[in-house]
Amino acid sequence: MDTTVKPQYNDGVVKYLAVGAITFLVLGTLMGTFAAAQLAWPALNFDIAEITFARLRVMHTNTVIFAFGGMTLMATAFYTVQRTNGVKLWSNGMAWVTAILFTIGLLLVVVTISLGMTTGKEYHEQEWPLAIAIALVWTLYTLNFVMTIASRNKETHPNVYVSNWFFLGMMIAITYLYVVNGLAIPVSLFRSYSLFGGVQDAMIQWWWGHNAVGFFLTAGFLGIMYYFVPKQAQRPIYSYRLSVIHFWALMFGYVWLGAHHLQYTALPDWTGSLGAVISLAMIIPSWGGALNGMLTLSGAWDRLRTDYILRFLIISLAFYAMATFEGPVMAAKTVNALSHYTDWTVGHVHSGALGWVAMVSIGALYHMVMKLWNTEMYSMKLINFHFWLATIGTVFYIVAMWVSGIMQGLMWRAYDEYGTLAYTFAESVAAMHPYYVMRTVGGLLFFSGAVVMLYNVIMTIRTANARQEAGVAANA
Amino acid sequence: MAQHNPWPDEGNTGHIWDEDLRELDNPPPLWWMLAFYAGFVMIVFYALYYPTIPWTNSHYEGMSGWTQVEEYKEDYQVLKDWRDQKFAQEEEQLAALPLKEIIENDELRTYAVKTSKVLFGDYCAACHGAGGQGNPNFPVLADDDWLWGGKVNQIYTAIEKGRIGNMPARGMMGNLNDQEVEQVADYVIALSNGNGDDPSVSAGKAVYQKGMCLACHGPQGKPLAPNGATNLTDQIWRFSGERDEVIKTIKYGVMVKKDGELIENTRQAVMPAFAERLPDADVNMKRLAVYVHSLGGGQ
Amino acid sequence: MSENQKPKNFQERLEQNIFGLFMATALAVSIAGIVEIVPLFYLKEAVDYTEQTDKYGNVKNEKFPELVWEREFTMQDGQLVSDKKLYEQDKNGNWVVADWKAGDGVRPYTPLELAGRDIYLREGCYICHSQMIRPFRDERERYGHFSLATESMYDHPMQWGSKRTGPDLARVGGKYSDEWHVLHLMRPQDMVPESVMPAYPWLAENPINESFFGTKRDMAKRLTVMRTLGVPYTDEEIANADAAIEGYTEMDAIVAYMQVLGTMVKLDDSKSYRE
Ligand code: HEC
Ligand code: HEC
Ligand code: HEC
Ligand code: HEM
Ligand code: HEM
Ligand SMILES: [Ca+2]
Ligand SMILES: [Ca+2]
Ligand SMILES: [Cu+2]
Repeated sequence: MDTTVKPQYNDGVVKYLAVGAITFLVLGTLMGTFAAAQLAWPALNFDIAEITFARLRVMHTNTVIFAFGGMTLMATAFYTVQRTNGVKLWSNGMAWVTAILFTIGLLLVVVTISLGMTTGKEYHEQEWPLAIAIALVWTLYTLNFVMTIASRNKETHPNVYVSNWFFLGMMIAITYLYVVNGLAIPVSLFRSYSLFGGVQDAMIQWWWGHNAVGFFLTAGFLGIMYYFVPKQAQRPIYSYRLSVIHFWALMFGYVWLGAHHLQYTALPDWTGSLGAVISLAMIIPSWGGALNGMLTLSGAWDRLRTDYILRFLIISLAFYAMATFEGPVMAAKTVNALSHYTDWTVGHVHSGALGWVAMVSIGALYHMVMKLWNTEMYSMKLINFHFWLATIGTVFYIVAMWVSGIMQGLMWRAYDEYGTLAYTFAESVAAMHPYYVMRTVGGLLFFSGAVVMLYNVIMTIRTANARQEAGVAANA
Repeated sequence: MAQHNPWPDEGNTGHIWDEDLRELDNPPPLWWMLAFYAGFVMIVFYALYYPTIPWTNSHYEGMSGWTQVEEYKEDYQVLKDWRDQKFAQEEEQLAALPLKEIIENDELRTYAVKTSKVLFGDYCAACHGAGGQGNPNFPVLADDDWLWGGKVNQIYTAIEKGRIGNMPARGMMGNLNDQEVEQVADYVIALSNGNGDDPSVSAGKAVYQKGMCLACHGPQGKPLAPNGATNLTDQIWRFSGERDEVIKTIKYGVMVKKDGELIENTRQAVMPAFAERLPDADVNMKRLAVYVHSLGGGQ
Repeated sequence: MSENQKPKNFQERLEQNIFGLFMATALAVSIAGIVEIVPLFYLKEAVDYTEQTDKYGNVKNEKFPELVWEREFTMQDGQLVSDKKLYEQDKNGNWVVADWKAGDGVRPYTPLELAGRDIYLREGCYICHSQMIRPFRDERERYGHFSLATESMYDHPMQWGSKRTGPDLARVGGKYSDEWHVLHLMRPQDMVPESVMPAYPWLAENPINESFFGTKRDMAKRLTVMRTLGVPYTDEEIANADAAIEGYTEMDAIVAYMQVLGTMVKLDDSKSYRE
């Protein structure tokens, strides 16, 4: 095949980000599992302000979405942009600055949230000094990414590969929405009041909130999918035209969906309807992406038996398809009337977050670790073990939440034979207990899988480093 | 790399990245394309049917005329009609008849009780416990010991207007010293055990007179008429029968204020008024009064 | 550039020009916000016809006067004053709500309530509690009349919430006594055995005039910022704001906030506030 010398890439920063992402996955799922346990057994709040349920939960979302998700996105974007454009990073130094500052920033976010510093805006709890810092770091990341692409050799790489489109779209939308939603006036170093209030604030908040999902947790990870699935499967992307439609439909369509978080609230009816109908219309473009990935794999089905990394990728696509079906269904007003405010939403979140985001990341991270350290994994069996822990854990989690969520929704609205409400709120709380326990078990399984991964990766790196040292010694 | 295509026959677009990344030129599956266009059609129809588009001073209302509030009203009407159809008589009687007659009417009483369960659970149980079995600092409703009287209309008044307990600190004139407070506490505890005449508490008995406790709690420790004061001769404690707690009650009283603010350590005893709070308060307060009355101790 | 690399169409042109792709994508993601968000700032129906009447943020509502507390603001000697007082010091020296009573319409929060709201955010209560009653018959029975946009117009940010692990709190004001709230926050399971709500005992110990790391909770500053955002406070109200939280704990403040929720407007079931 290709006999030319492989180009040298700036992989140091990618290595750092990859290990950081895995570490944050362990921490974030630990927090999630702990939070889940607190709802099952409230005594586990221990009357310690810093880890009471609500604060811990916000620490959890910030750790998994922004720290784990963000570092995965940085690692994979820096990894793929070099390879698909055949150049080194535009600025390796800037990439390191981005990576280090992002780590410090996110650690500070988690610590300050635990201390009670928050804007009170869901998915945008970072207070203004940290929010500004994060926005700046994010801009550096975007700049570096765009300039790397711009610096490619247009002779050898005339067209920009599809994974880059998705990364780019994610970067643009996230910067724009994050900044607008974050506009606020500080009252002290630790607190600010949102520029927006009431219904306008609600819409802006969910315009951002949904697209933290739609861009951060979806578009970015589709960028990952479009690179790592064909690479791992060693197959071409099934359809270029599908990629194009998928991309533009997501860029244009996703931004409309925020209103589906505000169905039946004081938001005007027309805004809610727009959110609902465009959500429904998003099933097909989303499935286009899932389909493109799955059809890429077709022909490599036999490899699923032996290639455990491919298993993570394929199951992530299945969950992506499921979550993007479930989400639009929940956006329909009649369904949302039942599901809103219940655990069903939380179940949906985690079929997206565990099944799609975490699984595709895990697949990509394993793939990268082997390439970056130029070695096989320390243990393939452990990857398989991780796969089962993660899958069973996810299924436990979302099944528990489906049951509890639908039960909650039905209990709240149930009428008895006299036409009066059938259950008190407290009865609905009590009825959730078994499912909260079941979720905790699922979380524990998923978390254990993450620990297994961290161990496997550390051992891989150690063996690789040891071998390299031995090699150097032998050559000397 | 794009110049020579090592996979000329697989139908790729001719672009190759990172050694072996390439895309096939397949069209999207037909069913998918059809569904994709169907999505646009759906958007158009939906947007015409429902309120969707904002104008400069209003919005497009949609051909269906649907609004969420209209949907709510209809939904609510369905429930109302259903209730009216099945229980019109009961509901009317509940609204029209005086409480006394309601509790004497077995069927109506049962109906009121059955329809109060969740109302009580959502609005009252947080203080009075599920089923009215009480909570620390909040009175039991499921017994026959009443502060303000266990007649159904007295219960109704409690719900409608709320109740605020009230007892001066250190006796009626606030003139009891610490020692006297302890003595009268011992006496009160003895009273509740039926030992009020025990010589060991005779000092306390005297303080009971001096502090004019009888003005509210009655000469024998039992209020002559329901006035919010507790019966001190039974084993039921509104707050607590622990000696220290009894001393605390007498020393700091109940809802005792100074300069418009509650003093430290005084007992709080506020029952909110529900006339303005409950949905459909006119019937629901009656329902609840009957329910509470039926919990075991109604008189 | 060789012949076969010439862009065949607009898509390919974008694929070959990263800055073009950047601009096209930025355009694609901007449209929804313009359609869905911008009208919320100018459509009166979106805020129940509540209108701002002066630059200080004062409001009136001609269609439903009961929704908002109306007062007149004027400048006197460089001071912003109003014909009605939000809060004042009573003869005992306590700061109490003055010319407003429950049901008079939506008004700005008193300094103590606003401080309590800060604590509500800090503890993340919105993670488990919504403040947005939907127009459903079951929610009407459990929580009361559905929420209106006007009711949260002074909320920066809003606290509508997205999850009901606990009940909705939009109208919890007056449902319980202060004492109950204190006991409940100290240990929810004492009041409601099946509760999964955490206990918040530290609220009773922390003075409200202290903020993070012992810094002062500068209420005058906070009210000033709120006024900048369109919440009408007079200069006197701002000047007294620090005094008005003096001596209270975080518990007092959060209870004050709880007790005002939903009490501002009295909604009439027979009226249609939203059509
Ligand atoms: C915030 C807590 C609270 C709530 C909620 C509450 N109550 Fe009460 N209730 C009290 C307290 C405290 C008293 C005792 C007042 C006193 O000490 O004088 C009381 C007293 C009563 C009494 C008088 C008892 C007696 O012995 O005379 C009745 C009847 C009653 N409540 C019924 C209800 C009903 C019915 C509801 C629900 C609609 C309800 N309460 C909700 C706190 C509450
Ligand atoms: C002005 C009326 C009044 C006077 C005088 C008064 N009390 Fe009371 N007392 C009350 C009321 C009312 C309550 C119940 C408070 C409540 O439940 O809200 C009460 C409650 C109590 C309790 C609590 C009982 C329990 O079940 O926990 C004790 C003990 C008590 N009083 C003792 C005394 C003694 C001793 C004196 C005289 C030194 C006294 N009271 C004088 C009105 C009075
Ligand atoms: C783990 C989730 C959780 C958190 C966090 C939480 N709560 Fe709750 N809350 C509940 C549950 C469950 C209930 C219902 C049972 C009960 O009354 O305790 C409840 C009930 C309440 C009620 C009574 C509402 C009613 O109408 O009966 C109030 C008031 C309340 N919470 C206030 C707060 C405040 C203030 C905070 C933050 C400082 C808070 N909650 C944090 C779960 C939570
Ligand atoms: C087309 C795709 C999707 C649509 C239309 C959609 C729709 C929805 C809807 C209707 C809700 C419930 C809102 C509510 O009632 O409060 C929701 C919640 C949520 N979804 Fe999705 N979803 C989609 C895909 C995904 C994916 C792939 C993820 C991946 C992580 C995800 C993550 C979330 C999260 C985190 C929430 C919770 C928001 C909150 O805090 O309330 N969604 N989504
Ligand atoms: C071990 C794995 C995990 C467990 C046990 C777990 C547990 C939890 C729990 C208990 C909650 C709070 C739900 C509630 O309020 O009732 C939660 C919320 C959330 N988690 Fe996780 N989590 C896990 C992994 C993840 C991952 C990997 C992600 C993202 C990539 C994620 C994203 C979220 C989000 C977005 C929410 C907020 C949902 C909402 O507001 O509706 N979680 N999680
Ligand atoms: Ca009793
Ligand atoms: Ca949420
Ligand atoms: Cu969404």
